Amino acid sequence: MSNVIISLQNVSKYFGKIVALENFSAEIFKGEFFSLLGPSGCGKTTLLRTIAGLEEPSSGQVFIDGQSMEGTPANIRPTNMVFQSYAIFPHMTVGENVGFGLRKKNFTQEEKLKKVSESLEMVGLDGYQNRASNTLSGGQRQRVALARALILQPKVLLLDEPLSALDKKLREQMQVELRRLQRAVGITFILVTHDQEEALIMSDRIAVLFDGLVEQIASPQELYQKPINQKVANFIGVMNFLKCYKISKSKNGLTVDIEGLGKAEIKSSQAPDGINSDKLSVGFRPEMLTILFDEKQKPERETFGEVIDVSYYGDMTFYDIKINDIEKNISISMRNTAGRPVLKRGEKARIGWSSESIILLKN
Amino acid sequence: MFNKRINWLYVYLVIYLIFLYLPMFLLPMFAFNDSTTIAFPLKGFTFKWFTLLPEIDAMIQSVYNSLIIAISTSIIATTLGMCAARAWARYQFPGKSGIIGLIMIPLVLPEIVVAVSLLVVLLNFGVTLNLWTIVLGHVLIATPFCTAILTSAFLNLDESLEEASLDLGETRFTTFRLVVLPLVTPGIIASLIIAFMISLDEFIIAFFLTGTEPTLPVYLYSQLRFPAKLPIVMSLGTILLMLSLILVTTAEYFRRRGIHKSSLDQKDIGGTL
Repeated sequence: MSNVIISLQNVSKYFGKIVALENFSAEIFKGEFFSLLGPSGCGKTTLLRTIAGLEEPSSGQVFIDGQSMEGTPANIRPTNMVFQSYAIFPHMTVGENVGFGLRKKNFTQEEKLKKVSESLEMVGLDGYQNRASNTLSGGQRQRVALARALILQPKVLLLDEPLSALDKKLREQMQVELRRLQRAVGITFILVTHDQEEALIMSDRIAVLFDGLVEQIASPQELYQKPINQKVANFIGVMNFLKCYKISKSKNGLTVDIEGLGKAEIKSSQAPDGINSDKLSVGFRPEMLTILFDEKQKPERETFGEVIDVSYYGDMTFYDIKINDIEKNISISMRNTAGRPVLKRGEKARIGWSSESIILLKN
Repeated sequence: MFNKRINWLYVYLVIYLIFLYLPMFLLPMFAFNDSTTIAFPLKGFTFKWFTLLPEIDAMIQSVYNSLIIAISTSIIATTLGMCAARAWARYQFPGKSGIIGLIMIPLVLPEIVVAVSLLVVLLNFGVTLNLWTIVLGHVLIATPFCTAILTSAFLNLDESLEEASLDLGETRFTTFRLVVLPLVTPGIIASLIIAFMISLDEFIIAFFLTGTEPTLPVYLYSQLRFPAKLPIVMSLGTILLMLSLILVTTAEYFRRRGIHKSSLDQKDIGGTL
């Protein structure tokens, strides 16, 4: 028995001449929380609907639990979906909504009621059976949609931007709760989202899509620390890019000449394979640079800059800093620990960095 | 409204409404007037004209004809309207706007043109004029109204509701029965009532396409030649007026409830007719 629950093989989808999805291949494992991440219109929802059977792929194959889904309509597939609009049936009560999928199953009325009750309990809405669905708040609707999809114990639960309609507080709470629920039921979740933070928090693995093409499939950590190219790096968090003038092999790895910062020795694992073939940039995250407030502190490397702009977030401060020969301003984030001052615009800053914290990226 | 200047638009509105609806009040006024002549001053209150109504066989027959035609029209036009509305709201196909235009055109065609051309065509095909030829004409003019009402009902229906039902194991057919139909039912009722009213009131097409069995409006028209019968006609008119008001109000109620019902928090996006 293999551990793969969904296998996607060269799935493409065209709407007329518009390419929604091109040659998507991936394997999704049992019990995994898998996210499809990308800006709107990147094909992630199309892919989810293709897995659900609501769209027919133009070419390629979808396998669920080893079986080809070609010609299998949505109502027979072992998948259930939580829709972006939640799609709660407005003419039914909460209980009728949740029990909708049981209609064709061979259960007695009592068993059905018990299952509905269990399913509602799982999402924290037990006792809501007889409530009219139009009396529910946004968060409650979302939970009802979840209970309705999970009651059939699908092999895969598909979630189409389920949190995008909720306000920030509720969204953060539901992110944690969804994750907890997924671990509890052990069902594979596939989440579509355009929110990189949401994807990072919730997923075991993330597929990043742009314009119908998959750029990278990796764990949240790998995606953040080693994005495959500038596009992905830009989408996942903030990344500073500097020009990379020259690369040469050295005995321990590579020597790079970085715009405004000079030469640095890096390990070959900090660069993508086949470095000579492409134009490369140097990237580093805002938290990888440090503003030095203590003159005695000796970093591996240091440089100087002028504060152009300050954004104060309470726990963090984000600086835009102009460093001598660097064309673009550099973004640096500092945690506001006790006693650490916040620089003002126009002040000079001493900046420390290390060659470990940079990566090379394809343009 | 709260300042002392006269709001001339408001005055205009009141005069306009009086002009529009005052003649209608004359109808019940003379229906209850104890005199055979339609003239002021009023002579006294009576139910006499209403009690005379059931005694005129020809009139009863015409009411019966009208009901058969109106009910048939209402069912056929609503069925056709549902098909058109579903296609309009859900599917994209070549020539869509043109086809919708053709369905809606009878709304603006002069009825006399429709009536005369239908008559010419039917006679050329050797069809004998009967109740069904009138139904044919009425379906033609009622379908656009039904289509418009039902399209707003179908457009208000969130497509993901149907997909959710499919996803939860129902077939297309059971989805239609369990999800779509209950949510558009108010629209269907509104459409049935409107088509019924259009057919019941319609005169020109019925007048041209009627054979030996006149509908109520056609019968009423023929009775206008006899002044003595005028008060009875007035009493019948009063009944029809009340019936129309009740039915149209009901139809609008259902249409609005449908919009309210088919979504958890949507606004009315279809215009009222």
